[in-house]
Amino acid sequence: MLRAENLSKRFGGLHAVQNVSFTHYGGEILAVIGPNGAGKTTLLNLLSGVYRPSTGRLWLQQEDITDAPMERRCHAGLGRAFQIVRPFPEMTVHENVTVGALFGQRGMRLPQARERAYDLLERTGLAAHADRAAHELTLLQDKRLEVARALATQPCVLLLDEVMAGLRPAEAQEAVELVRGVRDSGISILFIEHIMPVVRDLADRVVVMDQGQVLAEGTYREVTANPQVVAAYLGTEAGLHA
Amino acid sequence: MSAVSVRPTPARRPTFAWRALLALGIFFVLALAFPFLPLGDRREFLLQIGFFTLVAGIMALSWDLLARSGQVSLAHAAFYGLGAYGYALLLKAGLPWEAAMPLAALGAGFISLLLGAVTMRLSGMYFAIATLAFTEVVRTVIQNLPESVAGGANGLLVPALLGGNSRGQYLLALALLLLTVGVSLAVRLSKLHHAFAAIRQGEETARVLGVSVVRYKLAAFFLSSVLAALAGVLYAGKTFFISPLDTFSLANSISPLTTSIFGGLYTTLGPILGATVLRVAEELLHNTVKNGYLVVYGLVLMLSILWLPRGIVGLWRRGRQGGDL
Repeated sequence: MLRAENLSKRFGGLHAVQNVSFTHYGGEILAVIGPNGAGKTTLLNLLSGVYRPSTGRLWLQQEDITDAPMERRCHAGLGRAFQIVRPFPEMTVHENVTVGALFGQRGMRLPQARERAYDLLERTGLAAHADRAAHELTLLQDKRLEVARALATQPCVLLLDEVMAGLRPAEAQEAVELVRGVRDSGISILFIEHIMPVVRDLADRVVVMDQGQVLAEGTYREVTANPQVVAAYLGTEAGLHA
Repeated sequence: MSAVSVRPTPARRPTFAWRALLALGIFFVLALAFPFLPLGDRREFLLQIGFFTLVAGIMALSWDLLARSGQVSLAHAAFYGLGAYGYALLLKAGLPWEAAMPLAALGAGFISLLLGAVTMRLSGMYFAIATLAFTEVVRTVIQNLPESVAGGANGLLVPALLGGNSRGQYLLALALLLLTVGVSLAVRLSKLHHAFAAIRQGEETARVLGVSVVRYKLAAFFLSSVLAALAGVLYAGKTFFISPLDTFSLANSISPLTTSIFGGLYTTLGPILGATVLRVAEELLHNTVKNGYLVVYGLVLMLSILWLPRGIVGLWRRGRQGGDL
């Protein structure tokens, strides 16, 4: 579904991402992990269109989106939730989601988008907060909003950038359920995550990055058993299961 | 649909600011009645103040339209001047005023698209400075055209609008303000409102959510500049003399900005109320504090912006989110 072929991104002399290739299949939850500075966020920015790759190609479904601007990627079916939540602060929660519903797909009309936004607020457990100002939400609610808004664009692939960051364990568990629910509705998910239990619980497949390159790829069990991963990623096996 | 109504969710309808609509209605009824009141021997003078209040309202609301998309422009003097000069030159070319007015406005609209395209990637201060520079460029070009074309620095005579009939001119200005309000309300109730607000509050997020930022920013430019140019046409037809220095004066860019902030940003009612209150206050001060009325005026403006950060309309929409017109 989402296919990267030899993606590279250089910032001056720094190879932030180097020859990364992977295929993300439909209905799959794919995790990208790696130590700090491994190039995960740069990769996500290449996928979502914040950066253009120095070399390499990127396909979504059959469409080459390597040079597509962010809004065209969105229309093609790529959704993104940010690590640092970015609600539109002067809008209500419902209006925030309406923006995604209204512009995520071409030809959407306002009443339709409003209705869709309400449905998504119900699905993400935010219905009771629909008319509150977006800046009044708690962090978990903010993350829900971030996901609801991305879902409103009707993506086939959803990119999640460390959505669990800053959540308490109980909240993270709720967020895990939310992400599973999204996948069960037929949307494939690619996520970046630091918290290993979350990766273990969610990911069907894991891509491990180190120094801008793909170090290993496989199930959680496979990659965590890989000595190279253990050495490069956390140094000790104990740390990996912490 | 019946399944929808049983769900325990908040009301699934857009909140609608009836009070704002009512206030707009009252404003237009009063404004329409004004020229038919027995105004006594100061009638001409009062009608002139009324006329320029309406022009200030058009300018402020048109500026606000552009600001809603996050573009804080200092090019409104340019749009105003392009309207005024376009109108004067089209009349000179022999067009009737009914044709010259919309053509001048559309011409300014298309020129504004060029500015919009160039400033697309700028934001905040840089955007403001670029629009300010644009105003200077347009002024300089017009000033340095051969005098036979646009009158140069000496300016240009313009035939009086509607043969100089004050009431007619006032009613025409009122009609154009009504048009501006219509555009503003239409924007508020359409997709454009959501696009503008999203771009203003987070341009990159808006793009990630599929908002075609370029298209909507240019749409804001076009609408805003066409309306500002209509205000310029009114000005030219009322004063029947335009010069580059007066028409492209920085004041014409600044006062729509202060007026909108004073009245209430990103609303339809705010800029109009702001224009009315400020113009009337300015005249009253002018009559009572003859010397230095501008100092007092500036002080009033500063204090009110300090105390009323959401403008006059903020007085009765405290803490409300969304639904405002």
